[in-house]
Amino acid sequence: MMCTAKKCGIRFQPPAIILIYESEIKGKIRQRIMPVRNFSKFSDCTRAAEQLKNNPRHKSYLEQVSLRQLEKLFSFLRGYLSGQSLAETMEQIQRETTIDPEEDLNKLDDKELAKRKSIMDELFEKNQKKKDDPNFVYDIEVEFPQDDQLQSCGWDTESADEF
Amino acid sequence: MAEDKTKPSELDQGKYDADDNVKIICLGDSAVGKSKLMERFLMDGFQPQQLSTYALTLYKHTATVDGKTILVDFWDTAGQERFQSMHASYYHKAHACIMVFDIQRKVTYRNLSTWYTELREFRPEIPCIVVANKIDDINVTQKSFNFAKKFSLPLYFVSAADGTNVVKLFNDAIRLAVSYKQNSQDFMDEIFQELENFSLEQEEEDVPDQEQSSSIETPSEEVASPHS
Repeated sequence: MMCTAKKCGIRFQPPAIILIYESEIKGKIRQRIMPVRNFSKFSDCTRAAEQLKNNPRHKSYLEQVSLRQLEKLFSFLRGYLSGQSLAETMEQIQRETTIDPEEDLNKLDDKELAKRKSIMDELFEKNQKKKDDPNFVYDIEVEFPQDDQLQSCGWDTESADEF
Repeated sequence: MAEDKTKPSELDQGKYDADDNVKIICLGDSAVGKSKLMERFLMDGFQPQQLSTYALTLYKHTATVDGKTILVDFWDTAGQERFQSMHASYYHKAHACIMVFDIQRKVTYRNLSTWYTELREFRPEIPCIVVANKIDDINVTQKSFNFAKKFSLPLYFVSAADGTNVVKLFNDAIRLAVSYKQNSQDFMDEIFQELENFSLEQEEEDVPDQEQSSSIETPSEEVASPHS
């Protein structure tokens, strides 16, 4: 059965992931409630998301919902179970899912580096043009202006003394 | 992927003296996209050889420059860049350098000076291309970057994701490497060959489980030797 995911959200009490989707056969908007069991404030959100996405009963409905989104929803649930406010949880998720441009990744251990790379890979895949894509072009050349008229990147001032 | 324990003899760098072989090295911080760029350029030919003993990844490519077949070895850092220093053998006999930063991350741009300083210690003359990767927000290409200007280095805005300017980058690097090889004096290579022999002789005397720490320590010895 084919369906188009429209919205996917979290219900805190009792815990469940709720999917609003459109059934292609009937063209109707429907709701699917997927109860979350055995999940506590100590649970791993990535594993919980993977388990739900691969659950035979839910798999076909969640095909268009990314693992990352499910992970975020479980993060909200974990925050709720920990007694965190929604704002606190959102701030934490934001911190964990973006890259600090000032952070030197050379100084991280393997696990932390892998986390950052995973975040960047997600963005990479969104922008990626693959060989099998229609209209794929192997050699894309774009000329960018490189004259002195350009605004400075703003990253050079502090390092002027170093060069 | 499974690691290929290539024998030391297969990493013979003497072949780079042959007319039709060039070695191009990649430098830059962790996660700036060096491997993604290689993958985008090589496409189906993307077959990295992971040489864990040497802490490097090797990519082989065949190009045609002015009607002549050129065998290209691209060297990538395989995680060694986290120490922000490469072994002297990484630079040995290199004909061109591709130095990459992530245009979304200021720190990777600031660290270019560290990479460049080390590069010039070992390879004072080879062509070096500065690469701003991840230009997926078009506004970032409307900025000027003084680092490349300061050292008169070509600067390429590229995207490993959508492929913008990737093929041109690598083809130009190959052309520059071939041109350098045809016009350069390899006097410095003679000196480094001697240093390399000295370094290898030392390492042979160590017991196997000390090799890793020995190879990490060697860079400072290499740096000290020329001045003693």
